[in-house]
Amino acid sequence: MSEQMTPQTPQWWKKPDVKKTAILWAICTVVIGYGGAQFNIRNIVSPASLTMSGVIDLMQIFTWASAPVAGLVAAICLTVLTSKRHYGDNPPADADHEIANSPRVVGLWIVVSSVLCLFALVAGFIVIQKDSAELLDSDAIQLNVTGQQWLWSIDYPNGARSEDVYLPVNKPVVFHVTSVDVKHSFWIVQMGIKIDANPGYTTETAVTPNKIGVFDLRCAELCGLLHAYMQTKVHVVSQADYDAWLNNHAAIEKGA
Amino acid sequence: MTTVMSKPVSAPGKSIIEKLNFFTALALGALSAIVVWRLALQFLPQDTEVRLFTREDKITLLSMTAWFVGFMTGIGALVGPFRWLMGKDLTHEENMFLAGKDMGVKRYFRYTTDHKVVGIQYLVITMLIFGIGGILAMLIRTNLGTPEGGWIHPQAYNSIVGTHGIVMIVGTIIMVTGPFGNFIMPIMIGARDMAFPRLNALSFWLIVAAAVPLLWGQFLGGISTGWTAYNPLASQAPLGMDGYIMFICIFAISTMVAGANITTTVVKMRAKGMTWNRTPIFIYGVVASVALALPAFPVFFLSQVLSAMDRALDTSFYNTAGGGSGWLYENLFWIMGHPEVYVILIPAVAALMEMAPVFTRNPLFSFNVAIMGIAGISGLSILVWAHHMYMSGWAPLLNTPFMLTTELISIPTGMLFLVLVGTLWRGRLWMTMPTMSIFALLWNFMIGGITGIYLSDVPADAFLHGSMYVTAHFHYTLMGAGLTGALAALVYWFPAMTGRMFDKKLSWISFWMVQIGFNIAFIGMFTVGLAGQPRRVEAYASTFNTGNMITTGGAYLIMTGMLVLLYGVISSWRSGVIAPKNPWQAKTLEWTVGYPVPLENFDVLPVVTSDPYGYGKAKS
Repeated sequence: MSEQMTPQTPQWWKKPDVKKTAILWAICTVVIGYGGAQFNIRNIVSPASLTMSGVIDLMQIFTWASAPVAGLVAAICLTVLTSKRHYGDNPPADADHEIANSPRVVGLWIVVSSVLCLFALVAGFIVIQKDSAELLDSDAIQLNVTGQQWLWSIDYPNGARSEDVYLPVNKPVVFHVTSVDVKHSFWIVQMGIKIDANPGYTTETAVTPNKIGVFDLRCAELCGLLHAYMQTKVHVVSQADYDAWLNNHAAIEKGA
Repeated sequence: MTTVMSKPVSAPGKSIIEKLNFFTALALGALSAIVVWRLALQFLPQDTEVRLFTREDKITLLSMTAWFVGFMTGIGALVGPFRWLMGKDLTHEENMFLAGKDMGVKRYFRYTTDHKVVGIQYLVITMLIFGIGGILAMLIRTNLGTPEGGWIHPQAYNSIVGTHGIVMIVGTIIMVTGPFGNFIMPIMIGARDMAFPRLNALSFWLIVAAAVPLLWGQFLGGISTGWTAYNPLASQAPLGMDGYIMFICIFAISTMVAGANITTTVVKMRAKGMTWNRTPIFIYGVVASVALALPAFPVFFLSQVLSAMDRALDTSFYNTAGGGSGWLYENLFWIMGHPEVYVILIPAVAALMEMAPVFTRNPLFSFNVAIMGIAGISGLSILVWAHHMYMSGWAPLLNTPFMLTTELISIPTGMLFLVLVGTLWRGRLWMTMPTMSIFALLWNFMIGGITGIYLSDVPADAFLHGSMYVTAHFHYTLMGAGLTGALAALVYWFPAMTGRMFDKKLSWISFWMVQIGFNIAFIGMFTVGLAGQPRRVEAYASTFNTGNMITTGGAYLIMTGMLVLLYGVISSWRSGVIAPKNPWQAKTLEWTVGYPVPLENFDVLPVVTSDPYGYGKAKS
């Protein structure tokens, strides 16, 4: 804006503030995209299923897709902030700006934001499609989950019942979730699945754990006094260990 | 009630209106509540079955209703309608009295109809609400300083979280349309007052009446359900829940009344020559906000009436065992709940759009796109509610359509960004606290918006829903964007409302403290959300401790900044520099009337001949 009003104004892309903004745009886009992606990946839990890997990928894609837009806004702000600033109690002279509108800029902005919006939608739909395939898998283990204030109980097909969750690795599992009192929310954190437990209804969610280890099941819906403590562990073990645990546990259940 | 009031306390001939004020309202409200409570205790039949609370719920709700009716009668809200029913109307003197003519400070404690008095009343009550909500927030953050929680009992903690939520939601709903929509808006459009001055007073005093049941509920076990008050959790909550229900019902009436009033005023009472093209963008923001509340709040009202019936009359609207469904509550709640976030956001952004041309000496970039953005957001916002219920299991097949409508909102939201950066571009930046607030809004709202895209996506929401990530996201939009706009509006319109300039230094100090503290606090909250910490927990796994400590530290910085701001408000109001007429050299009408603003604003109604953003050397 500090440019002189020469008789022939240069073409718009040669103006110094436009050039400055363009360079800043490139820098800001990379900084925001990289910074945002690193922020996500450094803080998010490490995935224990393809569903969760899909969530992380989606977030990274969205971060990079929105980086140019955020970068442009940041670049314009920086250009404006680093140009001549006026301090004082009286206003500066009016700006030299002649345009109160620019159909070309507006049109371009709307088209770009619509394309980005469509992109986000399609990316989301593809992942939804993948995730819901597991629900229909006929080989899946069917587990009944019941939430109550303030613990979870899991019923296995052979009659075993436990408060922790035991799952074999690399085998799809369908959870049929319900509640006996108020709403809870069944959330296996590292597997990226969540579904509310509603009294009187059964809801379904499915996942295929792909990592052996111990993970977290937490209640994600405020359910009263001890909501914060309504959590337990999810043990993902090998198929052999799973079978052994299941038989053993069913026997205990019958004996007791 | 008239018998109480007609006792000869003062000189004969003084009409009843002149005897009523805040204190008679308090007295009559308390008296009615006590009388009804005693009567209910005496005459309500005992419960036949053993069911917790039902009779107590009836007694509580009746007493609270009695408080409400008593208070509104005592403040004088019924005098006008009562006279009208008897075929008379108020005399001119009575109307002048109601408008607060030559009344000094007393008019702030009466049923005063002058929009400027109502604006100041709203400003004070908004600050009070933020004070209470802020103290509760600090209690939450302090308790979360250690993983074990511990020093606040879980029941009290849950209640603090719920009260913080609802108090802040109400505070942010009224923070722009209350003070500035009432004080500034009518002057800005060149009107002498609101279309319905008595409704204006009504909407304010309803909020005062509503506050008491909420406070009352704190002593009856509190609101242990979070501000969403989901059923069936709410039906097993202690009696404090009835306080929440009454609070929401009364507040919903207030919002509907204010919405009808403001909308009518803007449509019918703009000055001659103020075509829709020449109407300032702030007016559009205020109207969009209150007009959105018109379809939203009746549903909120209804949802709470059903909740009260489930509690007190043993109906089962939300009880699955009796044929109802908790999902019904969730639907009703979020049909209000999502438009409501735009009720909060739109006027704050519009206020900054109003200020951007003034502080860049530049025309507003693309006025039409600004209106399209506001209209687009308002229109879409009533079609997105079920994105709060992606994981509720209510209708999995509807997730994708709601994902579509939700993500579509990013297009009109982008338009608001375009208007703001377009106005900044090649502007002559006049560095004030409101100017920097535009940049702060762009920064915070960008983060709030992008994290909103993650949350709008069903698979990502399956991980993020119900975690601290959501909490951080909506604080970025409602506080980072909304409150930033409201604080800028306070500094900008302070001279018009108080005749004094807001202390510059204090406005800068508080701005930086609040903004830096805010970003520290909620970036910290994003980290624990991504790591898997659920919302509304009073204890958490020790791995989340670092992020929570960061958030708590940031929260203390925000608190200090807000205290500086409060000191700035008080000291500038009492002894600030006397403001010149039109200190910002703006072109809108509210700067033409000077201070103090005369009772009916304009001796001669103005005629508008140019657009309010005619800055820039070559005018378009």
